[in-house]
Amino acid sequence: MTAETDTPGPSDPGQSDPGPSDHPVTGLDEVVHQRVRLGILTITHEARRVEFGYLRTQLELTAGNLSKHLSVLETAGLIDIEKGYEGKRGRTWITLTPAGNAALAAEISRLKVLIARVETSRKEQN
Amino acid sequence: MTTESLSAGDDAHRLLSDVRDLAGRVRRDQRLTWVALLVLAAAAFAAIPFDWLFMKVRCDGGGCMFARRGMLYYWPPALLLAYAAIAVSYVRAARARGLGARVLPYAITGAVTTVVFTAAYVAAAVYFPSHPPFGGGPMPFWWIVLDRLIAPWGLIGLALLVLARLERNVALLLFTAGYLALVLLVLPTTDGMDLPGWLPSFLSGSNMYLRLSMTLPQLITGAVLLAGGIGFAKARRRQR
Repeated sequence: MTAETDTPGPSDPGQSDPGPSDHPVTGLDEVVHQRVRLGILTITHEARRVEFGYLRTQLELTAGNLSKHLSVLETAGLIDIEKGYEGKRGRTWITLTPAGNAALAAEISRLKVLIARVETSRKEQN
Repeated sequence: MTTESLSAGDDAHRLLSDVRDLAGRVRRDQRLTWVALLVLAAAAFAAIPFDWLFMKVRCDGGGCMFARRGMLYYWPPALLLAYAAIAVSYVRAARARGLGARVLPYAITGAVTTVVFTAAYVAAAVYFPSHPPFGGGPMPFWWIVLDRLIAPWGLIGLALLVLARLERNVALLLFTAGYLALVLLVLPTTDGMDLPGWLPSFLSGSNMYLRLSMTLPQLITGAVLLAGGIGFAKARRRQR
């Protein structure tokens, strides 16, 4: 994961379509292993169902940037997006698909393995 | 390779820390602990007049017999309404914040414990008059604790434990542990409390004394829930 993928700006195409490929070094799924998208999956998992505005506030993103990340996740089949109205106000709700749940769990366990591996190698070096 | 693996490890650390931070924020935003406690406090206070009015007391020279019919009339519907009100409040508040709610298991636990209380109370009312437990002799402490646990005040504590687990709310867990210790080990919620000696002597041995002795633990329980609700509401306001 590079610094660019950590902080996608307004001009960032949201890592437009990295695809479900694995990272060459760590074996991490590049769709999920990205700070913003991992954040979206985490919040949606914890909340069961989350509204677009809440995600935007918590992740401190512009609407356009968040939309791009959401469409990457939707294309990968990790989230469902449901648009509707509450009164006259438009609302967009995001839920995690079973594949999204599995991808999040897998990502977290891979991160833990990676941390354990790095710590072991640090201890060996010392 | 060393530099690469070090940066990958640091990156993983940072990502995991972000995940935990975000999950914690969502859980805090979903909480409405103070509402749950205030609703339960209101239910506890409202039970007092029912208990008072529908208690059947028969006193003779050997002592008094009592039957708390008001508990059966009041608590099952009151608990079901309270849990429904709490669940609706949670769902509405979470929805207004743009989140889903995770309160359903709590409401289901509340409803199940209500059924358990009702069944246990009816069974005891039917069976024990003709088959007094322990031959009518002194009851062991574990029996008294069990009796208090399946009373409404104990069951409220059990359901609060479920809520603390759902919300991963350590403060609520600690509050509930203290509350359960109080209602199970300290307060005689099911058999009345010794009243202070300064009460008028004519009350001693009377119906009024018995009713008062049952009211006091209920007032304390309601006050503890109320204080908890106010405390959690203030803490939440400070967080915001």
